[in-house]
Amino acid sequence: MRQSFAVGIGGAAGQGVATPGDIFAKVFSRRGLHLNAYNAYQSIIRGGHTFLVIRTGADPITNIGDQLDLLIPLNQDTMDRHLRLLGPGGACIYNADSIRPGTATQGVQLCPLPVATLADITRNKVAQNTLAIGAALSMLGIGFQSLESVLEEQFKKKDRSVIDENISVARAGYDYATQNFKPFAQPLAMTENRYAVLSGNAALAMGGAAAGVKFYCAYPMSPSTGVLHWMAEHARKANILVRQVEDEIGVINMAIGAAQAGVRAMCATSGGGFALMSEGLGLSAQAEIPVVVIDCQRAGPSTGVPTKTEQGDLWQMLGAAFGDYPRAIAAPLDIGDCFTLIPEMFNLVDRFQCPGIVLCDLLLAEGRLSVDPKLLNFRPPIDRGELIVSNGAADHEPYKRYLITESGVSPRAIPGIPGYTHVVSSDEHDEDGVLISDEYTNAAKRRAMMEKRMRKVSGIEASVAPPKLQGPANADVTLVGWGSTQGVIEEACELLKDEGITANQLQIRWLVPLHGDAIVEILKKAKHTIIVENNFSGQFARYLRSETSFVPDGSIRKYDGEPFMPHHIVEAVKEQLAGKTKLSVPAHEVMV
Amino acid sequence: MATTLEAPKTPAPKTNRLGLQAVDYRGAKTTLCAGCGHNAISERIIDAMYEMGVKPERVLKLSGIGCSSKSPTYFLGRAHGFNSVHGRMPSVATGALLANSSMLGIGVSGDGDTASIGLGQFAHLMRRNLPLIYIIEDNGVYGLTKGQFSATADVGSKLKTGVINELPAINTCAMAVDLGATFVGRSFSGDKKQLLSMLKAAIAHNGTVMLDVISPCVTFNDHEGSTKSYKYVQEHEDSIGEVGFVPFFDDISVDYDPGTTYDVQMHDGSHLKLRKLHEGYDPTNRIGAVKALMEAEERGEILTGVFYIDAKRPSFIDSLNLAPEPLATLPQDRVRPPRRVLDEIMQAHL
Ligand SMILES: Cc1ncc(C[n+]2csc(CCOP(=O)(O)OP(=O)(O)O)c2C)c(N)n1
Ligand code: SF4
Ligand SMILES: [Mg+2]
Repeated sequence: MRQSFAVGIGGAAGQGVATPGDIFAKVFSRRGLHLNAYNAYQSIIRGGHTFLVIRTGADPITNIGDQLDLLIPLNQDTMDRHLRLLGPGGACIYNADSIRPGTATQGVQLCPLPVATLADITRNKVAQNTLAIGAALSMLGIGFQSLESVLEEQFKKKDRSVIDENISVARAGYDYATQNFKPFAQPLAMTENRYAVLSGNAALAMGGAAAGVKFYCAYPMSPSTGVLHWMAEHARKANILVRQVEDEIGVINMAIGAAQAGVRAMCATSGGGFALMSEGLGLSAQAEIPVVVIDCQRAGPSTGVPTKTEQGDLWQMLGAAFGDYPRAIAAPLDIGDCFTLIPEMFNLVDRFQCPGIVLCDLLLAEGRLSVDPKLLNFRPPIDRGELIVSNGAADHEPYKRYLITESGVSPRAIPGIPGYTHVVSSDEHDEDGVLISDEYTNAAKRRAMMEKRMRKVSGIEASVAPPKLQGPANADVTLVGWGSTQGVIEEACELLKDEGITANQLQIRWLVPLHGDAIVEILKKAKHTIIVENNFSGQFARYLRSETSFVPDGSIRKYDGEPFMPHHIVEAVKEQLAGKTKLSVPAHEVMV
Repeated sequence: MATTLEAPKTPAPKTNRLGLQAVDYRGAKTTLCAGCGHNAISERIIDAMYEMGVKPERVLKLSGIGCSSKSPTYFLGRAHGFNSVHGRMPSVATGALLANSSMLGIGVSGDGDTASIGLGQFAHLMRRNLPLIYIIEDNGVYGLTKGQFSATADVGSKLKTGVINELPAINTCAMAVDLGATFVGRSFSGDKKQLLSMLKAAIAHNGTVMLDVISPCVTFNDHEGSTKSYKYVQEHEDSIGEVGFVPFFDDISVDYDPGTTYDVQMHDGSHLKLRKLHEGYDPTNRIGAVKALMEAEERGEILTGVFYIDAKRPSFIDSLNLAPEPLATLPQDRVRPPRRVLDEIMQAHL
């Protein structure tokens, strides 16, 4: 079992949950610890409930886990809702002046802070937060010095007096805890490592920079807005042209225009915005202009649940735009993979001149993870495929933009090069780009063009490796997931092992190309197969079935807006192996 | 119903300042109906590009979908083309020109493409003042889908089927002035001289040029009862000011009377000369331009000419302070942020 420590901080939006979150994250990462954070929040700027969980430890932390070790409720509501998440050995630090404790599990330490006595609350509105952080660090056996330096940095833009005030309040909390509360049984670990803490959105954006993206545009939509924010903040320095556009129809077409001009262009949205991009996606496919679209899924349909996660957009991606066309769709497995996948996707769509979709979700987009900076390769290979960017040898065959080739890929020239002028179009066209349905439709040309484009499908397939089974062979159960569930399924497998059930995992990253044969080859050897996904209808299971006729033994689905916790999967696997059901829908026990 | 476009009547020099001939500016044979106004506009674009000595390979022709949007194929065969989707050309053009601002963009749209499905995109394009010549080939109907009313059809205009349009027309010129386009005018596909001068001035302008060119659809909207027929437009055209144009490379100085003629010095040193035909007409006054357009509408007249020009406002490209080197042609070793910048960015996450 991995050692980990999870802190939960909750309050009303506007009560300052984010700052203690940042401070804990910094303290943990300075100790060389891994961390994983997830903020459950509502679509409201002030008032609604916010609950942030940060889980840390010396080993990689792939999800927020099942239990809390420390709860810091900033209001009564948080105390009432979340106290039950504390297991034996856990502690709850709270403002004794304003919050009544609830009944805690046996072995949980209740730590009331006399806030008004310890700090001048008329001057410092968030004194309770700072006192609690100080108290927590004392109980975790961390020297005050490390908190002091983080506070210095956290408030560096403020006046000296504000910094000093915060440090002295934190000190008061620290000392009070040292005298009055029992320290945690395990002091917080420490390593020599240093990790970068990234949100999925930042990682996607940085992946774009690493891929050489020069044009990014978007219309704000949760949970993808973080990509736009990152891009806007770094646009100048990174020499990336960033535009906020009037709507998602404009977004995709602007990206396509820029891509046609010759740059790598990227955009991001969520399901509702993606719906508006469908037409443009078809244009990218038909005109053979590579563009990368990120979809950060949130719970749908329609405006849905703006602040909650889901894996419910798969069929929208599969059905986006009409007609048959080559494309690539991939779901990053974790926040580090958000970074890595973007350059890979660009190389693929540049080589095959087609749209590429990165199917992320709120869990990763807005979650935070420690990533080893060594794994973030800012110089990944750039393969722009058959792209003509200069005149080169003056003598060449008359240029045909849509030349029929065996691979289906026609060399693509960027506009502005004499000798390579051409027309691209959304209408079906011949090799020269001339519309074929103008006076009469040439059926032979249509067929040839269709076949040319679709030949790219096998090239795309050959460029992407099939998925691999993780964990022991011959396991009692094989769990199949896709995208962001990688981490939680991995931990569920470990927990199952502790209970005497061997489990392995087949995690799907590339949805198109799927490599259905390779998947079936693996799954038909499995003793018991269960597909785990964050949606109602089993969208991946339905897709796998439609592509391969494969039907799993069971399904675990969750569509309440919250991500899976490891025990949800463990309990579901147990009930399914006991033959109680083939479909488990774990309930999220706590309202967040 | 293919037809060859008629040759320009004005005798033109054999070669232009680039040494190119007029044929170097031609496109494919048109497949539009004989007599379609769109064909005459293509002809004038050929003339204007030729006379201005624009290098065809530097031109990016953009369009949406419609008979009008097909027409870029029929001019400048040596230029690049992008036939995009219905109503979305403004954003495609914006992306393309931001990525490569060294291209000269000319967008051809229809009244359906602009004023119906593309109205949102159109409005936002006008706000940006992107250097782009945006032409609406305006026939009051959706030609390509066989003649339904568009949103620029006038109240009371009648279709061949007898259907009468009851909704007010969207005045794309007034909208463009209001929204920030810096060169707004209207012309008529049948008015060769005016249209040619306006197109040449458009090439000289640095910013969004919005030209609404009335372009009769001979097949669906050229009958008695239509307000976009050749006959009706000829009878109701009211020019706000005669349009003259002297390119920067011509040193012919024409005498003019400042009392009767506006002289606008353009970005590239060319001169746009507007002879006032309407009293109080000032092409640099936005409010006056919108007022004149509204008043003409009330009188039932089709106002033509250059309504508004601002030759000084920075274009979108200028205001973004883009480096002169187009992003699209950066060598591969410079497409990524420099190491120093990446280190700085990473530092913030550690
Ligand atoms: C999304 C979408 N809806 C409808 C159409 C069908 N359509 C093609 S052209 C057109 C109207 C074109 O009218 P206009 O822009 O005025 O061009 P014209 O043919 O009159 O020159 C329509 C509705 C389409 N191509 N795409
Ligand atoms: S249908 Fe009308 S608009 Fe279309 S080509 Fe014929 S005349 Fe022109
Ligand atoms: Mg029309």
